[in-house]
Amino acid sequence: MTAPVKESPAMDAIPETTSDTFIQVCEVWVPENDRLVLADGNYNGLAAFEETSRKTSFAKGEGLPGKAWDEARPVVLKGFDGSYFRRIEAAKEAGLTSAVAVPVFAGATLRAVLVVLCGDDDTRIGAIEVWTEDRSGMLMLDDGYYGAAEEFAFVSQHTHFPKGQGLPGGVWAAQAPILMRDLGSGYRFIRASAAGKAGLTTGLGLPVSTPTLQPYVLTLLSARGTPIARRFEIWDARAARDGRAILSDGICEREGPLWRDDGDGTRGEAPTAVAWKGMVGQVLGSGLPVAAQGGSGLPADYTSFVGLPVYRGETLTHIVAWYN
Amino acid sequence: MTRKKLVVIGAGMASGRALEHLFDADPDGWDVTLFNAEPRGNYNRIMLSPVLSGEKSYGEIVIHDDDWYADHRVTCRFGERVLAVDRAARTVTGETGTVAYDKLLIATGSNPFMIPLPGHDLDGVIAYRDLEDTNRMIDAAATPGARAVVIGGGLLGLEAAAGLRLRGMEVTVVHLMGHLMDRQLDEAAGYLLRKDLEGRGIDVRVSANSKEILGENGKVKALVLEDGTELPCDLLVMAVGIRPNTALAAEAGLAVGRGIHVDDQMITSDEHILSVGECIEHDGAVFGLVAPLYDQAKVAAATLTGTEAAFKPRELSTKLKVTGCDLFSAGDFAEGDGREDIVYRDPARGVYKRLVIEADRLIGAVMYGDTADSNWFFGLIQSGEDISAMRETLIFGPAYQGGPDADPLSAVAALPRDAEICGCNGICKGTITDAIAGGATDLGAVRAQTKASASCGTCTGLVEQLLQVTLGDDFEAPTAQPICACCDLSHEDVRRLIKGRELKSQEAVWQELGWKTRNGCHVCRPAVNFYLLADWPLEYRDDPQSRFVNERKHANIQKDGTFSVVPRMWGGITSAAELRAIADAAEKYNVPTVKVTGGQRIDLLGVRGEDLPAIWDDLGKAGLVSGHAYSKGLRTVKTCVGTDHCRFGTQDSTGLGIKLEQILWGSWTPHKVKLAVSGCPRNCAEATCKDVGIVCVDSGYQVGIGGAAGMDVKETERLVDVATEAEAIEWTTAFIQLYRENAKYLDRPYKWIAKVGLDWVKETLASADERARLVEAFELSQSIYRKDPWAEHAKQAERYQPLADLTLEAAE
Repeated sequence: MTAPVKESPAMDAIPETTSDTFIQVCEVWVPENDRLVLADGNYNGLAAFEETSRKTSFAKGEGLPGKAWDEARPVVLKGFDGSYFRRIEAAKEAGLTSAVAVPVFAGATLRAVLVVLCGDDDTRIGAIEVWTEDRSGMLMLDDGYYGAAEEFAFVSQHTHFPKGQGLPGGVWAAQAPILMRDLGSGYRFIRASAAGKAGLTTGLGLPVSTPTLQPYVLTLLSARGTPIARRFEIWDARAARDGRAILSDGICEREGPLWRDDGDGTRGEAPTAVAWKGMVGQVLGSGLPVAAQGGSGLPADYTSFVGLPVYRGETLTHIVAWYN
Repeated sequence: MTRKKLVVIGAGMASGRALEHLFDADPDGWDVTLFNAEPRGNYNRIMLSPVLSGEKSYGEIVIHDDDWYADHRVTCRFGERVLAVDRAARTVTGETGTVAYDKLLIATGSNPFMIPLPGHDLDGVIAYRDLEDTNRMIDAAATPGARAVVIGGGLLGLEAAAGLRLRGMEVTVVHLMGHLMDRQLDEAAGYLLRKDLEGRGIDVRVSANSKEILGENGKVKALVLEDGTELPCDLLVMAVGIRPNTALAAEAGLAVGRGIHVDDQMITSDEHILSVGECIEHDGAVFGLVAPLYDQAKVAAATLTGTEAAFKPRELSTKLKVTGCDLFSAGDFAEGDGREDIVYRDPARGVYKRLVIEADRLIGAVMYGDTADSNWFFGLIQSGEDISAMRETLIFGPAYQGGPDADPLSAVAALPRDAEICGCNGICKGTITDAIAGGATDLGAVRAQTKASASCGTCTGLVEQLLQVTLGDDFEAPTAQPICACCDLSHEDVRRLIKGRELKSQEAVWQELGWKTRNGCHVCRPAVNFYLLADWPLEYRDDPQSRFVNERKHANIQKDGTFSVVPRMWGGITSAAELRAIADAAEKYNVPTVKVTGGQRIDLLGVRGEDLPAIWDDLGKAGLVSGHAYSKGLRTVKTCVGTDHCRFGTQDSTGLGIKLEQILWGSWTPHKVKLAVSGCPRNCAEATCKDVGIVCVDSGYQVGIGGAAGMDVKETERLVDVATEAEAIEWTTAFIQLYRENAKYLDRPYKWIAKVGLDWVKETLASADERARLVEAFELSQSIYRKDPWAEHAKQAERYQPLADLTLEAAE
């Protein structure tokens, strides 16, 4: 028997306020003269690592961003020592031990690589996963970083999702980002109860478009204690031919549900983003990921923003954003 | 100031919105008591589906929480049923007591309709209506290996199915009608929706009638369909519709029909009682979508505060809350006189858009896969503005409305460089225009350089438009003829794609091959119908509505509206009994003309339409079946008497003719097919001008093909000489199947052979393996079609009604 939907009017699925987050650093690398250079970064006060990064660039196949570009797939790197990671010393000094690089392709063209870096300790719970199709036509874990959620990592490695089932299978079938509220109950999968035990509640999944036919789904699973973010948004940009995107889903620790749906299919009341206006507008206008810290344009009491464009072929279809 | 007493029965979305308006307009005027049978207040019921799927939490869909009710001093009696309304005393009695009212608002909503199938009361058979149902489904989904069946392929049923699937269940949807969401979508959008849901692993059964629910130990075990199919399940969700909940109102003596009768001010037959929501009936209509409920709520609040307002139903739109299934429908999109469709399809992206125009106004819209402009189209439907000035570019949406000079080419010209043109290969407009600028000045060159239009070919029209936009008059459109104006593809391309992409329904062809019309026209529909039944005999069934009138009627219509009836005479052989039956029928039905045909059988001309089933029945009792004298199929096998009687006969030509006719009859072919078997080279059966003509010789059988004796006269060409009758039958059958698999619709064999070449036909059939495959494929098809259509229609003779206008030829 699983826990049914609770009737508390409060947002039971939303993480409580915390000061620590699962992701320490977010970077946006963009191609420039055949190399990847740093465009944006949210370094969470890790100035030395930021300085090192700003002095660094990557050729195709070089370092973590270059590998994601070269292999045209999301890459997870757990442990930098002895690896192809180029900023090992700076990362070590900053306490960063793992990273995930997500290439952003528009058709065959690399637009950017988003790199998120995490610190390893015994308390940080969360998951950043990459799922891909196996030979039997199911989604299997390609790789993932879980922090201290070891049991959940083990279960995930042994879980397969058919199309349409679970967060990864749902994203794969829908070809659209999905934001799930309560990963720990009401699902057939053993992984769900493992998620519940690990405290993972909110899950954001998104398709990662690459020039190959191989599907990739990226999932960010957030725990209450060390959330990946305290605010998640999904913007539907398919109406973007008039330079606009509408908020199709979103939850915020402070404001509660962000979505609006008047039920008649028009979403007439949904918040709208306009190209180049505000943070989401920057993503919409440029078609590039944005990682920003401080500054204006953020919701009240939020200090950092990551916006990631989702492409289908050459078309920007959605933007996912998370805030801390 | 004395507060008036308002009692509200039902804390749903309609009454909740009415209270919001009321408190806005008159914050201190009312003491409100709110009864609700559910043990909770107002929540957004239409968002239960995302709660089921896990994409929303219950907390997010609560509209009015405890604080809201407290702030507005609403006395909440949740979880308490109302037992009676005393209209004379103006009181409402609940389970815990009675409360008086000045005004009463009844908002009892609706009850889900449960089909009274045997077993509908088993544990595990539920409706989908409220939070309790949602929780039961969530619980069921968490059970390893659990299966669900959802009866009802409407909005709610499909949302339930998708939610259960996302949570890990194996799900089957059973829908009575021929396509999903048949009330909101047309067949084309229904096809895409089904494809989308099947892509999520949901098993979809349409045209499926539920018969019985099986149980075990009081719990649901399976659903049995009318055709005997048993669908195992641990959960059965019925989502087949709702009925207004009028019981309390009826008991109180209010006027009730399908719903509680209300006027334009939402006042019931009692001036002190108002009603809103799914429980009402207004001007003969009942309501199930939220938009009109909110309008009713606004009017009810205005009525309560003494403000003038009137409820007026408005156009409605629909959205399915399944992430990734983007559909929109609004207005009226039924077929009708004076209505015109504008259809746009993008097969690679799974996009379908259809606009329905009447008297220069947009009256309906259906969209799937790209609903970005739905608000704009919905606005046009609601406003009823004249769209004639933007008629040509309307389907492209508001971004392409360039004024009276706009045309489809300008819409293509206005596409951004990154607009995807070829979905198969992911080629965008910029890549193509760069190639054109670089010297690729025809379709072939663009294909070679960019791969655009090189796969499925459905973007060929767009690529040609880009060539036209870029090169202007320097571009000459290719001369390959499409089937008709409905598409850009030739017959050959359509045949190739139906096979190659395994398209097994008309809707699949229209959508995946980018048809520009809703469901084809009198030119393409019969062709596509034939190609589908020829390639997919088991999966696709012949569609009579896609056939010419004679084929639909199984008789040839004559110029005076009567019909001719030609029973089959196998190989031209008949008997006294058959002739007697024909004579009796001719007399019984006053057949004015009885004629011997050139194909060696007897034609009864002048039969009245209403007599057809009866005359077929009479002939059938004598063993006579349809001669298919009206069909694109096997007509006759003419024979001479051969060795049985003729001094010159070399083989049993009559026997061979009968065998061939018994093998080939009933099969559909691209055009009519006539055969003949002559017993010797004197050729009394005139075999050398038939589609297949066999001339018997001492050494065996000379099989000729491609003869004609109509508008064109042509002698057959020798396909093969064989020694045995069995070989003659094998070669003939294989040839007919080769013709069925490859010819353009309405090409007689001689025309088809001229296109592909006799050598190719000979080489193909020279392979014993290929002949065996063709014969096997033919037999598979004949397992469906080798039957007498007259007998089937005769069975329905008692129910037969003549059509109002038998000369109508919809498929022509």
